[in-house]
Amino acid sequence: MASRAEFSPQTLSVLAALCGQPSAWQHGYALARETGLKSGTLYPILIRLADRGLVEACWQEEPAPGRPRRHLYRLTADGLATATTALTEAALAGAEPATAKVRPGASPGRGRGVAAPAVP
Amino acid sequence: MSRLGRVAAAAGRGVLRLMPTARREWAEAVWAEAYEVPAGWPRLAWRAGGLGLVAKEEQMARRMGIAFLFAAVAGAAVWGAWPGSPVSHGAAVQGGIIITVLLLAGLPLLTRWAMGPPDSRPARWLRAGLYVAILAVMPAQAAIGMFIGTVPRGGIDRHTFDVFQGPGVPGSSSGGPDWGGEIGLLLLTACYVALILALTARRAPVAPATLAIGAGAGLVLGVVMYAIAPLGLNVKYPYRPWLDGSAAEAVGVLAWVLLFGAPLMAGAVAGRRCHVPDDPGKASAARAWQGSAAGLVSGGAGALLVTVFGSGSVALMLKSAWVQDWLYHGQHLTASAVYGRELFASQDAGGYIVLLVGLPIIGLIMGLIGTACASPAHRLPDSGGPGRPPGPGGPEPVPGPPDGGCQADVKELAGAGSG
Repeated sequence: MASRAEFSPQTLSVLAALCGQPSAWQHGYALARETGLKSGTLYPILIRLADRGLVEACWQEEPAPGRPRRHLYRLTADGLATATTALTEAALAGAEPATAKVRPGASPGRGRGVAAPAVP
Repeated sequence: MSRLGRVAAAAGRGVLRLMPTARREWAEAVWAEAYEVPAGWPRLAWRAGGLGLVAKEEQMARRMGIAFLFAAVAGAAVWGAWPGSPVSHGAAVQGGIIITVLLLAGLPLLTRWAMGPPDSRPARWLRAGLYVAILAVMPAQAAIGMFIGTVPRGGIDRHTFDVFQGPGVPGSSSGGPDWGGEIGLLLLTACYVALILALTARRAPVAPATLAIGAGAGLVLGVVMYAIAPLGLNVKYPYRPWLDGSAAEAVGVLAWVLLFGAPLMAGAVAGRRCHVPDDPGKASAARAWQGSAAGLVSGGAGALLVTVFGSGSVALMLKSAWVQDWLYHGQHLTASAVYGRELFASQDAGGYIVLLVGLPIIGLIMGLIGTACASPAHRLPDSGGPGRPPGPGGPEPVPGPPDGGCQADVKELAGAGSG
Protein backbone atom coordinates (compact mmCIF):
# COMPACT_ATOMS: atom_id res chain seq x y z
CA MET A 1 0.00 0.00 0.00
CA ALA A 2 1.31 3.43 -0.84
CA SER A 3 2.07 5.82 1.94
CA ARG A 4 1.48 9.50 1.90
CA ALA A 5 5.22 10.18 1.80
CA GLU A 6 5.25 8.86 -1.75
CA PHE A 7 3.09 11.70 -2.99
CA SER A 8 3.86 15.37 -3.30
CA PRO A 9 1.25 17.91 -2.17
CA GLN A 10 0.39 18.51 -5.83
CA THR A 11 -0.16 14.81 -6.44
CA LEU A 12 -2.29 14.60 -3.32
CA SER A 13 -4.42 17.44 -4.60
CA VAL A 14 -4.92 15.59 -7.90
CA LEU A 15 -5.82 12.42 -6.03
CA ALA A 16 -8.24 14.38 -3.87
CA ALA A 17 -9.88 15.90 -6.93
CA LEU A 18 -10.24 12.49 -8.55
CA CYS A 19 -11.61 11.04 -5.31
CA GLY A 20 -14.36 13.64 -5.35
CA GLN A 21 -16.22 11.63 -7.99
CA PRO A 22 -14.37 8.34 -8.12
CA SER A 23 -16.60 6.67 -10.65
CA ALA A 24 -16.90 9.64 -13.01
CA TRP A 25 -14.50 10.38 -15.85
CA GLN A 26 -12.95 13.81 -15.47
CA HIS A 27 -11.31 16.15 -17.94
CA GLY A 28 -7.84 17.60 -17.60
CA TYR A 29 -9.07 21.17 -17.55
CA ALA A 30 -11.65 20.38 -14.85
CA LEU A 31 -8.89 18.82 -12.76
CA ALA A 32 -6.67 21.82 -13.37
CA ARG A 33 -9.41 24.15 -12.16
CA GLU A 34 -10.11 21.90 -9.23
CA THR A 35 -6.51 21.71 -8.11
CA GLY A 36 -5.24 25.07 -9.33
CA LEU A 37 -2.38 23.34 -11.10
CA LYS A 38 -1.00 24.41 -14.47
CA SER A 39 -1.07 22.01 -17.38
CA GLY A 40 2.71 21.58 -17.21
CA THR A 41 2.38 20.32 -13.63
CA LEU A 42 -0.92 18.46 -13.84
CA TYR A 43 -0.17 16.24 -16.81
CA PRO A 44 3.17 14.87 -15.61
CA ILE A 45 1.36 13.91 -12.38
CA LEU A 46 -1.39 12.18 -14.35
CA ILE A 47 1.21 10.39 -16.48
CA ARG A 48 3.03 9.11 -13.41
CA LEU A 49 -0.22 7.99 -11.78
CA ALA A 50 -1.28 6.23 -14.99
CA ASP A 51 2.14 4.57 -15.31
CA ARG A 52 1.67 3.19 -11.79
CA GLY A 53 -1.79 1.93 -12.62
CA LEU A 54 -3.52 4.29 -10.17
CA VAL A 55 -5.31 6.28 -12.86
CA GLU A 56 -6.94 5.03 -16.03
CA ALA A 57 -7.42 7.19 -19.09
CA CYS A 58 -9.55 7.01 -22.19
CA TRP A 59 -10.61 9.19 -25.07
CA GLN A 60 -14.06 10.78 -25.22
CA GLU A 61 -16.27 8.79 -27.59
CA GLU A 62 -18.52 11.57 -28.82
CA PRO A 63 -16.73 14.90 -28.91
CA ALA A 64 -18.56 18.20 -29.14
CA PRO A 65 -19.05 19.32 -32.75
CA GLY A 66 -15.94 21.03 -34.12
CA ARG A 67 -13.86 20.03 -31.11
CA PRO A 68 -11.22 17.33 -30.81
CA ARG A 69 -11.82 14.34 -28.60
CA ARG A 70 -10.91 14.95 -24.96
CA HIS A 71 -8.87 12.73 -22.72
CA LEU A 72 -10.69 11.50 -19.63
CA TYR A 73 -9.33 10.26 -16.32
CA ARG A 74 -10.52 8.43 -13.25
CA LEU A 75 -9.01 6.40 -10.44
CA THR A 76 -8.65 2.66 -10.78
CA ALA A 77 -9.67 0.43 -7.89
CA ASP A 78 -6.04 0.33 -6.78
CA GLY A 79 -5.82 4.06 -7.27
CA LEU A 80 -8.86 4.69 -5.14
CA ALA A 81 -7.52 2.53 -2.32
CA THR A 82 -4.10 4.17 -2.53
CA ALA A 83 -5.56 7.65 -2.70
CA THR A 84 -7.86 7.00 0.25
CA THR A 85 -4.96 5.78 2.35
CA ALA A 86 -2.66 8.59 1.31
CA LEU A 87 -5.26 11.27 1.91
CA THR A 88 -6.20 9.80 5.29
CA GLU A 89 -2.55 9.72 6.31
CA ALA A 90 -2.20 13.29 5.14
CA ALA A 91 -5.21 14.30 7.19
CA LEU A 92 -3.82 12.56 10.27
CA ALA A 93 -0.45 14.22 9.76
CA GLY A 94 -2.16 17.58 9.53
CA ALA A 95 -0.86 18.30 6.08
CA GLU A 96 -3.00 19.61 3.33
CA PRO A 97 -2.74 19.04 -0.38
CA ALA A 98 -1.26 21.85 -2.43
CA THR A 99 -4.70 23.01 -3.49
CA ALA A 100 -5.36 24.72 -0.21
CA LYS A 101 -2.31 26.88 -0.68
CA VAL A 102 -2.42 27.61 -4.36
CA ARG A 103 -6.14 28.10 -4.85
CA PRO A 104 -7.77 29.86 -1.95
CA GLY A 105 -11.00 30.23 -3.85
CA ALA A 106 -11.55 26.55 -4.43
CA SER A 107 -14.94 25.22 -3.46
CA PRO A 108 -14.99 23.56 -0.06
CA GLY A 109 -14.89 19.83 0.04
CA ARG A 110 -13.59 19.40 -3.49
CA GLY A 111 -9.86 18.83 -3.63
CA ARG A 112 -9.31 21.06 -0.67
CA GLY A 113 -9.74 19.06 2.41
CA VAL A 114 -8.10 15.78 3.09
CA ALA A 115 -11.09 13.76 4.08
CA ALA A 116 -11.17 10.51 2.17
CA PRO A 117 -14.33 10.10 0.16
CA ALA A 118 -16.61 7.18 0.58
CA VAL A 119 -15.86 4.32 -1.73
CA PRO A 120 -18.91 3.65 -3.86
CA MET B 1 -8.72 32.15 -33.07
CA SER B 2 -6.05 34.84 -33.13
CA ARG B 3 -3.13 34.63 -35.51
CA LEU B 4 -0.81 33.95 -32.57
CA GLY B 5 -3.11 31.18 -31.43
CA ARG B 6 -3.20 29.63 -34.89
CA VAL B 7 0.59 29.75 -35.15
CA ALA B 8 0.93 28.18 -31.69
CA ALA B 9 -1.60 25.48 -32.58
CA ALA B 10 0.17 24.65 -35.85
CA ALA B 11 3.59 24.58 -34.15
CA GLY B 12 2.24 22.35 -31.43
CA ARG B 13 0.71 19.88 -33.86
CA GLY B 14 4.07 19.68 -35.67
CA VAL B 15 5.94 19.04 -32.42
CA LEU B 16 3.43 16.36 -31.37
CA ARG B 17 4.35 14.30 -34.40
CA LEU B 18 7.96 14.16 -33.17
CA MET B 19 6.94 12.68 -29.81
CA PRO B 20 7.65 9.05 -28.95
CA THR B 21 4.46 7.02 -29.44
CA ALA B 22 4.15 6.22 -25.75
CA ARG B 23 3.92 9.87 -24.80
CA ARG B 24 2.21 11.30 -27.86
CA GLU B 25 -1.24 10.49 -26.51
CA TRP B 26 -0.64 12.62 -23.44
CA ALA B 27 0.64 15.55 -25.43
CA GLU B 28 -2.40 15.27 -27.70
CA ALA B 29 -4.59 15.24 -24.59
CA VAL B 30 -3.13 18.54 -23.43
CA TRP B 31 -3.60 19.95 -26.89
CA ALA B 32 -7.22 18.81 -27.20
CA GLU B 33 -8.04 20.16 -23.75
CA ALA B 34 -6.78 23.60 -24.77
CA TYR B 35 -10.03 24.18 -26.66
CA GLU B 36 -11.86 24.19 -23.31
CA VAL B 37 -9.56 26.81 -21.84
CA PRO B 38 -10.65 30.44 -22.31
CA ALA B 39 -9.08 31.93 -25.43
CA GLY B 40 -6.14 34.30 -25.13
CA TRP B 41 -3.34 34.08 -22.62
CA PRO B 42 -4.88 31.29 -20.50
CA ARG B 43 -5.09 29.05 -23.57
CA LEU B 44 -1.59 30.03 -24.66
CA ALA B 45 -0.31 29.26 -21.15
CA TRP B 46 -2.08 25.90 -21.24
CA ARG B 47 -0.44 25.03 -24.54
CA ALA B 48 2.92 26.27 -23.26
CA GLY B 49 2.54 23.81 -20.41
CA GLY B 50 1.88 21.08 -22.97
CA LEU B 51 5.01 22.02 -24.88
CA GLY B 52 6.91 21.93 -21.59
CA LEU B 53 5.62 18.41 -21.08
CA VAL B 54 6.93 17.49 -24.51
CA ALA B 55 10.27 19.17 -23.89
CA LYS B 56 10.73 17.29 -20.60
CA GLU B 57 10.92 14.05 -22.52
CA GLU B 58 14.63 13.31 -22.57
CA GLN B 59 14.63 12.18 -26.17
CA MET B 60 12.61 15.18 -27.28
CA ALA B 61 14.80 17.61 -25.40
CA ARG B 62 17.84 16.23 -27.17
CA ARG B 63 16.17 16.34 -30.57
CA MET B 64 15.00 19.90 -30.06
CA GLY B 65 18.41 20.94 -28.76
CA ILE B 66 20.09 19.47 -31.83
CA ALA B 67 17.56 21.17 -34.11
CA PHE B 68 18.15 24.56 -32.46
CA LEU B 69 21.93 24.09 -32.55
CA PHE B 70 21.81 23.15 -36.22
CA ALA B 71 19.60 26.15 -36.99
CA ALA B 72 22.00 28.49 -35.20
CA VAL B 73 25.16 27.12 -36.81
CA ALA B 74 23.58 26.86 -40.26
CA GLY B 75 22.26 30.40 -39.91
CA ALA B 76 25.74 31.66 -39.05
CA ALA B 77 27.26 29.74 -41.98
CA VAL B 78 24.66 31.07 -44.41
CA TRP B 79 25.19 34.58 -43.10
CA GLY B 80 28.94 34.22 -43.66
CA ALA B 81 28.63 32.63 -47.09
CA TRP B 82 25.81 34.71 -48.58
CA PRO B 83 27.17 36.96 -51.36
CA GLY B 84 27.01 40.46 -49.88
CA SER B 85 27.43 42.66 -52.90
CA PRO B 86 25.78 41.94 -56.25
CA VAL B 87 28.07 39.62 -58.15
CA SER B 88 27.46 37.93 -61.45
CA HIS B 89 27.77 34.43 -59.97
CA GLY B 90 25.63 35.34 -56.95
CA ALA B 91 22.55 33.42 -58.09
CA ALA B 92 24.49 30.16 -58.37
CA VAL B 93 26.14 30.71 -54.98
CA GLN B 94 22.81 31.51 -53.32
CA GLY B 95 21.18 28.48 -54.89
CA GLY B 96 24.06 26.29 -53.72
CA ILE B 97 23.82 27.60 -50.16
CA ILE B 98 20.06 27.09 -49.93
CA ILE B 99 20.16 23.58 -51.35
CA THR B 100 23.09 22.61 -49.11
CA VAL B 101 21.18 23.67 -45.99
CA LEU B 102 18.06 21.87 -47.20
CA LEU B 103 20.13 18.73 -47.79
CA LEU B 104 21.63 18.95 -44.33
CA ALA B 105 18.21 19.41 -42.77
CA GLY B 106 16.26 16.92 -44.86
CA LEU B 107 18.55 13.94 -45.38
CA PRO B 108 18.74 13.00 -41.67
CA LEU B 109 14.94 12.76 -41.56
CA LEU B 110 14.94 10.54 -44.63
CA THR B 111 17.73 8.35 -43.20
CA ARG B 112 15.99 8.12 -39.83
CA TRP B 113 12.84 6.92 -41.55
CA ALA B 114 14.66 4.40 -43.74
CA MET B 115 17.50 3.17 -41.52
CA GLY B 116 16.89 4.46 -38.02
CA PRO B 117 18.67 7.07 -35.92
CA PRO B 118 22.32 6.92 -34.84
CA ASP B 119 22.60 4.87 -31.68
CA SER B 120 26.22 5.14 -30.64
CA ARG B 121 28.55 7.90 -29.58
CA PRO B 122 30.98 7.47 -32.52
CA ALA B 123 28.04 7.65 -34.93
CA ARG B 124 26.75 10.87 -33.41
CA TRP B 125 30.21 12.43 -33.28
CA LEU B 126 30.88 11.49 -36.88
CA ARG B 127 27.63 13.08 -38.00
CA ALA B 128 28.33 16.20 -35.96
CA GLY B 129 31.83 16.44 -37.41
CA LEU B 130 30.51 16.10 -40.95
CA TYR B 131 27.95 18.85 -40.40
CA VAL B 132 30.47 21.17 -38.77
CA ALA B 133 32.88 20.56 -41.65
CA ILE B 134 30.33 21.29 -44.37
CA LEU B 135 29.00 24.38 -42.60
CA ALA B 136 32.55 25.64 -41.96
CA VAL B 137 33.61 25.15 -45.57
CA MET B 138 30.62 27.12 -46.89
CA PRO B 139 31.73 30.62 -45.82
CA ALA B 140 35.39 29.83 -46.52
CA GLN B 141 34.60 28.76 -50.07
CA ALA B 142 32.39 31.82 -50.52
CA ALA B 143 35.22 34.12 -49.47
CA ILE B 144 37.63 32.36 -51.83
CA GLY B 145 35.10 32.46 -54.68
CA MET B 146 34.50 36.15 -54.11
CA PHE B 147 38.23 36.91 -54.14
CA ILE B 148 39.02 34.83 -57.17
CA GLY B 149 36.08 36.30 -59.08
CA THR B 150 36.92 39.94 -58.41
CA VAL B 151 39.04 41.60 -61.09
CA PRO B 152 41.61 44.09 -59.74
CA ARG B 153 41.21 47.66 -60.98
CA GLY B 154 44.69 47.95 -62.41
CA GLY B 155 48.43 47.78 -61.94
CA ILE B 156 50.50 44.66 -61.53
CA ASP B 157 47.64 42.88 -59.76
CA ARG B 158 45.49 43.28 -62.85
CA HIS B 159 48.30 41.87 -64.96
CA THR B 160 48.70 38.90 -62.61
CA PHE B 161 44.95 38.32 -62.68
CA ASP B 162 44.79 38.47 -66.48
CA VAL B 163 47.64 35.99 -66.81
CA PHE B 164 46.11 33.40 -64.51
CA GLN B 165 42.38 34.06 -64.75
CA GLY B 166 41.92 35.66 -68.14
CA PRO B 167 40.83 39.24 -68.85
CA GLY B 168 37.81 40.66 -67.03
CA VAL B 169 36.09 43.95 -66.35
CA PRO B 170 38.11 45.88 -63.73
CA GLY B 171 36.49 46.23 -60.33
CA SER B 172 33.77 43.71 -61.07
CA SER B 173 33.24 40.04 -60.80
CA SER B 174 34.60 37.94 -63.59
CA GLY B 175 32.67 35.28 -65.44
CA GLY B 176 29.01 34.34 -65.08
CA PRO B 177 27.16 32.00 -62.77
CA ASP B 178 29.02 28.71 -62.50
CA TRP B 179 26.01 26.42 -62.35
CA GLY B 180 28.04 23.38 -63.38
CA GLY B 181 30.51 23.88 -60.56
CA GLU B 182 27.75 24.47 -58.02
CA ILE B 183 25.85 21.38 -59.12
CA GLY B 184 29.02 19.30 -58.92
CA LEU B 185 29.72 20.58 -55.40
CA LEU B 186 26.13 19.90 -54.38
CA LEU B 187 26.33 16.35 -55.67
CA LEU B 188 29.57 15.81 -53.79
CA THR B 189 28.05 17.25 -50.61
CA ALA B 190 24.94 15.10 -51.02
CA CYS B 191 27.09 11.98 -51.47
CA TYR B 192 29.09 12.72 -48.32
CA VAL B 193 26.03 13.49 -46.22
CA ALA B 194 24.03 10.49 -47.48
CA LEU B 195 26.95 8.10 -47.06
CA ILE B 196 27.87 9.16 -43.54
CA LEU B 197 24.22 9.27 -42.44
CA ALA B 198 23.67 5.77 -43.84
CA LEU B 199 26.85 4.34 -42.28
CA THR B 200 25.99 5.79 -38.88
CA ALA B 201 22.33 4.75 -38.85
CA ARG B 202 21.12 2.07 -36.45
CA ARG B 203 20.31 -0.48 -39.12
CA ALA B 204 23.64 -0.08 -40.95
CA PRO B 205 25.85 -3.15 -40.62
CA VAL B 206 28.71 -1.06 -39.27
CA ALA B 207 29.93 -1.36 -35.70
CA PRO B 208 30.53 1.78 -33.62
CA ALA B 209 34.14 0.69 -33.17
CA THR B 210 34.56 0.59 -36.95
CA LEU B 211 33.39 4.19 -37.19
CA ALA B 212 35.77 5.23 -34.43
CA ILE B 213 38.70 3.41 -36.05
CA GLY B 214 37.95 4.94 -39.45
CA ALA B 215 37.53 8.43 -38.05
CA GLY B 216 40.75 8.16 -36.03
CA ALA B 217 42.74 7.05 -39.06
CA GLY B 218 41.12 9.83 -41.08
CA LEU B 219 42.10 12.48 -38.54
CA VAL B 220 45.76 11.41 -38.70
CA LEU B 221 45.66 11.33 -42.49
CA GLY B 222 43.93 14.73 -42.66
CA VAL B 223 46.40 16.45 -40.34
CA VAL B 224 49.40 15.20 -42.33
CA MET B 225 47.77 16.07 -45.64
CA TYR B 226 47.03 19.54 -44.32
CA ALA B 227 50.66 19.94 -43.27
CA ILE B 228 51.77 19.42 -46.86
CA ALA B 229 48.89 21.24 -48.57
CA PRO B 230 47.79 24.03 -46.24
CA LEU B 231 47.03 26.54 -48.96
CA GLY B 232 45.35 24.47 -51.61
CA LEU B 233 46.47 21.41 -53.51
CA ASN B 234 48.96 21.92 -56.29
CA VAL B 235 51.00 18.86 -57.14
CA LYS B 236 53.16 20.71 -59.67
CA TYR B 237 54.03 23.64 -57.40
CA PRO B 238 53.43 22.47 -53.86
CA TYR B 239 53.65 25.18 -51.26
CA ARG B 240 54.37 24.45 -47.62
CA PRO B 241 55.16 27.72 -45.91
CA TRP B 242 55.94 26.21 -42.52
CA LEU B 243 58.16 23.34 -43.66
CA ASP B 244 61.73 23.71 -44.84
CA GLY B 245 63.16 21.46 -47.55
CA SER B 246 64.11 18.32 -45.60
CA ALA B 247 61.09 18.42 -43.32
CA ALA B 248 58.79 18.93 -46.30
CA GLU B 249 60.24 15.84 -47.97
CA ALA B 250 59.83 13.74 -44.84
CA VAL B 251 56.26 14.88 -44.28
CA GLY B 252 55.56 14.36 -47.98
CA VAL B 253 56.74 10.74 -47.75
CA LEU B 254 54.65 10.29 -44.60
CA ALA B 255 51.61 11.68 -46.42
CA TRP B 256 52.04 9.21 -49.26
CA VAL B 257 52.44 6.35 -46.81
CA LEU B 258 49.36 7.40 -44.85
CA LEU B 259 47.33 7.99 -48.00
CA PHE B 260 47.30 4.25 -48.56
CA GLY B 261 48.42 2.99 -45.17
CA ALA B 262 45.84 4.71 -42.94
CA PRO B 263 42.76 3.18 -44.60
CA LEU B 264 44.62 -0.12 -45.01
CA MET B 265 45.32 -0.29 -41.29
CA ALA B 266 41.83 0.93 -40.42
CA GLY B 267 40.30 -1.79 -42.59
CA ALA B 268 42.58 -4.44 -41.13
CA VAL B 269 41.89 -3.47 -37.52
CA ALA B 270 38.13 -3.14 -38.06
CA GLY B 271 38.04 -6.48 -39.88
CA ARG B 272 40.05 -8.22 -37.18
CA ARG B 273 37.71 -6.98 -34.47
CA CYS B 274 34.76 -8.57 -36.18
CA HIS B 275 33.66 -11.96 -34.86
CA VAL B 276 30.75 -13.98 -36.10
CA PRO B 277 30.84 -17.44 -34.55
CA ASP B 278 29.65 -20.55 -36.38
CA ASP B 279 29.17 -19.04 -39.81
CA PRO B 280 32.26 -18.46 -41.97
CA GLY B 281 30.21 -16.97 -44.82
CA LYS B 282 28.56 -14.39 -42.61
CA ALA B 283 31.84 -13.68 -40.88
CA SER B 284 33.63 -12.92 -44.11
CA ALA B 285 30.83 -10.63 -45.33
CA ALA B 286 30.69 -8.85 -42.00
CA ARG B 287 34.47 -8.35 -42.00
CA ALA B 288 34.29 -6.96 -45.53
CA TRP B 289 31.62 -4.52 -44.38
CA GLN B 290 33.65 -3.37 -41.41
CA GLY B 291 36.87 -3.06 -43.42
CA SER B 292 35.36 -1.17 -46.32
CA ALA B 293 33.42 1.12 -43.99
CA ALA B 294 36.51 1.87 -41.91
CA GLY B 295 38.52 2.65 -45.06
CA LEU B 296 35.77 4.78 -46.51
CA VAL B 297 35.31 6.73 -43.30
CA SER B 298 39.05 7.25 -42.91
CA GLY B 299 39.38 8.58 -46.47
CA GLY B 300 36.31 10.79 -46.16
CA ALA B 301 37.28 12.14 -42.74
CA GLY B 302 40.81 12.87 -43.92
CA ALA B 303 39.59 14.67 -47.03
CA LEU B 304 37.07 16.70 -45.05
CA LEU B 305 39.64 17.67 -42.45
CA VAL B 306 42.21 18.90 -44.96
CA THR B 307 39.48 20.72 -46.92
CA VAL B 308 38.14 22.49 -43.83
CA PHE B 309 41.57 23.49 -42.53
CA GLY B 310 42.93 24.34 -45.99
CA SER B 311 39.93 26.36 -47.16
CA GLY B 312 39.83 28.07 -43.78
CA SER B 313 43.52 28.95 -44.01
CA VAL B 314 43.13 30.42 -47.50
CA ALA B 315 40.01 32.37 -46.50
CA LEU B 316 41.74 33.71 -43.39
CA MET B 317 44.78 34.59 -45.49
CA LEU B 318 42.55 36.73 -47.69
CA LYS B 319 40.78 38.40 -44.79
CA SER B 320 43.35 38.83 -42.04
CA ALA B 321 46.75 40.46 -42.17
CA TRP B 322 48.03 38.48 -39.16
CA VAL B 323 47.63 35.22 -41.06
CA GLN B 324 49.87 36.50 -43.80
CA ASP B 325 52.37 37.77 -41.23
CA TRP B 326 52.37 34.33 -39.68
CA LEU B 327 52.63 32.48 -42.98
CA TYR B 328 55.40 34.68 -44.35
CA HIS B 329 57.14 35.36 -41.10
CA GLY B 330 60.35 37.31 -41.64
CA GLN B 331 59.69 37.90 -45.33
CA HIS B 332 59.12 41.36 -46.71
CA LEU B 333 56.64 40.83 -49.51
CA THR B 334 55.42 43.60 -51.75
CA ALA B 335 51.68 44.14 -52.10
CA SER B 336 51.70 42.60 -55.56
CA ALA B 337 53.61 39.55 -54.30
CA VAL B 338 51.03 39.11 -51.56
CA TYR B 339 48.24 39.39 -54.13
CA GLY B 340 49.92 36.82 -56.34
CA ARG B 341 50.21 34.35 -53.48
CA GLU B 342 46.60 34.95 -52.49
CA LEU B 343 45.51 34.33 -56.06
CA PHE B 344 47.50 31.10 -56.34
CA ALA B 345 46.21 29.85 -52.99
CA SER B 346 42.64 30.67 -54.00
CA GLN B 347 43.05 28.78 -57.25
CA ASP B 348 44.75 25.84 -55.55
CA ALA B 349 41.95 25.61 -52.98
CA GLY B 350 39.86 24.13 -55.78
CA GLY B 351 42.26 21.16 -55.72
CA TYR B 352 40.74 19.96 -52.46
CA ILE B 353 37.86 18.64 -54.54
CA VAL B 354 40.30 16.09 -55.95
CA LEU B 355 40.96 14.93 -52.40
CA LEU B 356 37.27 14.91 -51.52
CA VAL B 357 36.59 12.60 -54.44
CA GLY B 358 39.77 10.55 -54.42
CA LEU B 359 40.46 9.84 -50.75
CA PRO B 360 37.20 7.99 -50.00
CA ILE B 361 37.66 5.85 -53.12
CA ILE B 362 41.25 5.03 -52.15
CA GLY B 363 40.03 4.45 -48.59
CA LEU B 364 37.33 2.04 -49.69
CA ILE B 365 39.72 -0.02 -51.81
CA MET B 366 42.52 -0.04 -49.22
CA GLY B 367 40.08 -0.86 -46.44
CA LEU B 368 38.89 -3.91 -48.34
CA ILE B 369 42.47 -4.96 -49.04
CA GLY B 370 43.32 -4.47 -45.38
CA THR B 371 40.42 -6.68 -44.33
CA ALA B 372 41.40 -9.35 -46.81
CA CYS B 373 45.01 -9.32 -45.64
CA ALA B 374 44.25 -9.43 -41.93
CA SER B 375 43.11 -12.70 -40.45
CA PRO B 376 40.37 -12.47 -37.83
CA ALA B 377 41.50 -12.29 -34.23
CA HIS B 378 40.58 -15.85 -33.33
CA ARG B 379 41.47 -16.97 -29.89
CA LEU B 380 41.30 -20.71 -29.34
CA PRO B 381 41.99 -21.19 -25.67
CA ASP B 382 41.84 -24.94 -25.95
CA SER B 383 44.40 -25.35 -28.67
CA GLY B 384 47.22 -24.78 -26.22
CA GLY B 385 49.70 -23.71 -28.83
CA PRO B 386 51.12 -25.19 -31.99
CA GLY B 387 51.08 -28.94 -32.26
CA ARG B 388 48.85 -29.45 -29.29
CA PRO B 389 45.49 -31.07 -30.03
CA PRO B 390 42.30 -29.52 -28.83
CA GLY B 391 40.80 -30.70 -25.57
CA PRO B 392 38.09 -33.30 -25.26
CA GLY B 393 35.28 -30.89 -26.03
CA GLY B 394 36.92 -29.50 -29.13
CA PRO B 395 37.67 -25.80 -29.60
CA GLU B 396 35.69 -23.45 -27.44
CA PRO B 397 33.49 -20.86 -29.09
CA VAL B 398 35.38 -17.81 -30.20
CA PRO B 399 34.86 -15.10 -27.61
CA GLY B 400 33.41 -11.81 -28.78
CA PRO B 401 35.22 -8.51 -28.74
CA PRO B 402 35.39 -6.69 -25.41
CA ASP B 403 32.47 -4.36 -26.08
CA GLY B 404 30.57 -6.77 -28.29
CA GLY B 405 30.12 -3.95 -30.77
CA CYS B 406 30.67 -5.64 -34.10
CA GLN B 407 29.14 -8.92 -33.05
CA ALA B 408 26.07 -7.19 -31.68
CA ASP B 409 25.66 -5.23 -34.86
CA VAL B 410 26.08 -8.26 -37.07
CA LYS B 411 23.47 -10.12 -35.05
CA GLU B 412 21.15 -7.15 -35.33
CA LEU B 413 21.77 -7.03 -39.06
CA ALA B 414 20.97 -10.71 -39.39
CA GLY B 415 17.81 -10.15 -37.35
CA ALA B 416 16.79 -7.14 -39.43
CA GLY B 417 17.45 -9.03 -42.63
CA SER B 418 15.35 -11.98 -41.57
CA GLY B 419 12.60 -9.72 -40.21
